Amino acid sequence: MTMSESQFVLTMASIVFVSMPLIIAVCGEIITERSGIVNLSLDGSMLMAAMTGFVIAYESDNIWAGFLAAMLVGAFFAFIVAFGSIRLRQSQFAIGFVLTLLGDDLSAFLGQNYTRTPGPTVTHFGIPLLKEIPIIGPIFFNQDALVYFTYFLVFFTWFWLFRTQPGLRLRSVGERPEAAFARGVGVNRQRYLYTVIGGALVGLAGAAYSLDVKIGWSDGHIRGMGWIALAIVIFGGWSPIRGALGALLFGATKALASYLQSRFPEVSVVAFNAIPWLLMITVLLLVGSDFTERVILMAPQRMQRPLQRFLRVSPPKALGSTFVED
Amino acid sequence: MQSLFNKYPKLWRIFDILLPFFATLAALAVGAVMLIFLGANPFEAYGALLEGAFGNINALADTLVKATPLLLVALGICIAFRGGVLNIGGEGQLVVGALASTLIGLSFADAPGTLIIPLALLSGFLAGAIWGAIPGLLKAYFNVNEILSTIMMNAIAVQGMNYLLREPMIDPVQLESASRIPQTARLAVAFDLPRLIPTRLHLGFGLAILAAILVYIFLWRTVIGYRIRAVGLNAFASRYAGIKVSRYIVLSMLLSGAFAGLAGAIQVYGLHHRMFTDGSATGFTGSAGFNGIVVALFGHLHPLGSIPASILFGALIVGANKLQRVMQVPTAFITALNGLVVIFVVSSEYWRRRWARRRETEPVEKPPGATEAEVAT
Repeated sequence: MTMSESQFVLTMASIVFVSMPLIIAVCGEIITERSGIVNLSLDGSMLMAAMTGFVIAYESDNIWAGFLAAMLVGAFFAFIVAFGSIRLRQSQFAIGFVLTLLGDDLSAFLGQNYTRTPGPTVTHFGIPLLKEIPIIGPIFFNQDALVYFTYFLVFFTWFWLFRTQPGLRLRSVGERPEAAFARGVGVNRQRYLYTVIGGALVGLAGAAYSLDVKIGWSDGHIRGMGWIALAIVIFGGWSPIRGALGALLFGATKALASYLQSRFPEVSVVAFNAIPWLLMITVLLLVGSDFTERVILMAPQRMQRPLQRFLRVSPPKALGSTFVED
Repeated sequence: MQSLFNKYPKLWRIFDILLPFFATLAALAVGAVMLIFLGANPFEAYGALLEGAFGNINALADTLVKATPLLLVALGICIAFRGGVLNIGGEGQLVVGALASTLIGLSFADAPGTLIIPLALLSGFLAGAIWGAIPGLLKAYFNVNEILSTIMMNAIAVQGMNYLLREPMIDPVQLESASRIPQTARLAVAFDLPRLIPTRLHLGFGLAILAAILVYIFLWRTVIGYRIRAVGLNAFASRYAGIKVSRYIVLSMLLSGAFAGLAGAIQVYGLHHRMFTDGSATGFTGSAGFNGIVVALFGHLHPLGSIPASILFGALIVGANKLQRVMQVPTAFITALNGLVVIFVVSSEYWRRRWARRRETEPVEKPPGATEAEVAT
């Protein structure tokens, strides 16, 4: 049983396409968490954004208005998390969690008149020269504008975080807020800024589902994807490139699960539905354990440092803490 | 007023404890404005809500029945949050607890109820404990974030439930008919938890209250409970004090899951008498695994505080149904009302802290030349 080449290309292209919203959400959350704030509301805010984006695009017949509205919703949810933790000094986790529940319920109610109606979507277009490259071309460059934006976003986020002055400031706020503050960085202002920007991206991801990847709206449309995104942020070691790879890996296991399901119809669907979740737990376990460290030490000396840099995960030191400026 | 409070410091404590209720009243006041916009009379509406929740003995019983799983989950959350771990896995733990206890009831259909009921509740407790201990172990020994692992354990539990209820555990009657509704057969009537009064109120509520008292004693009057709280307050200091931190992380997750599992078993034996699924967790749990977290936060993460909090939320759920039936307000209003209560309670915590800080700094005489910060410390 071998897959023909065109089948392989089609499957890979669909994996890239399906993983795209997840990658956007992961980039957004990485930006937020690098500044030291955990926006746990992802699942709820993505649902709200997906619903809002779909409804606005449907009513105004303008898909970009839908995306814009979704980004505003995501940014608003993120702002509540930032305000609650910075100003009100509440637990970020509690606020994020409550918002998750709220977003879930509220989206189900507000969108109930729009369930299962066909809606507008983004058109596909290949990039002229690049799509001619064998195999890579049809997989990566015969997609739609949002996917191309995602490539740019991953690269830009990485560049911003690790190669620019403002990115250094952003990371310093997440690692050593006291030191950053002593150097004259407005810690909480930075945190507000990047939480809201990250939230806007999360909102965009929600709309990317309802307007592009999984078109339409129904109750609990993409429930669970927010949690997956949060897991991938950790798996990705708070780096956009690794995070994007993680999202693609997740998309690939899902595709593999549905492929296996068609091959072995006698096994219950449920077993395959559980595969991605089991895989995520295993991956989190491997990344966090000493075992990985020991494996790295077995590698040739020269390989150790790069391997360590790629495999080791250490969260921003001040992640989830509050900082009082005085 | 201010001087009265200063004279009797105890008044402050009473005020602190009552604050969530004041916040709830404020949320209801905002809800009243919304009701006016919806064209309904707020007095009538809240009258319907109150009547639905406490109006007669049946309504009151329903409120307490709804409060039971919320309280049990909240007790687990109290232990976990006090121990410094965030257990978001209540839904999954509740589901596996319910599954395990249902399995016991189905396998020993002819055994006497006095034997099976304790066994079933115990199995629910243990199954929840195992389901909670796994993320605990992952956190303690592999540094896996417990928020994510519990969420994933939820998803796995739901998938497992869907599989079991669609195939091996399905009601034989459903198997014969074409509908194949995914639910088990009704458990033997002998296994029903005894009713406390001739309503739907069952023994489970009494057990939950008893559990709340036990958890209080455990957390504040035993060495192990003290260590759990110490780890939650400051893991580093606890390590230097010789407490094996990882073990206590596992223990608090384990106990947390156990109470959610017990809640699942009690839902099966006290209320539904069978297990069913709608494909997601909420069909069976009614989101008790999540709402229990809100209840625990409402009760200041205190087992005894969770008792009134769970009754309040049970009343909101039951009363809101009545309100919706009588006044024809949209479901969104109920959702919004619940959300408002949560938001008001959470933000009231902020004011409480602010007042507490002012209270502490006030009596201090400011030495000449000292800055504000020095006085505060």
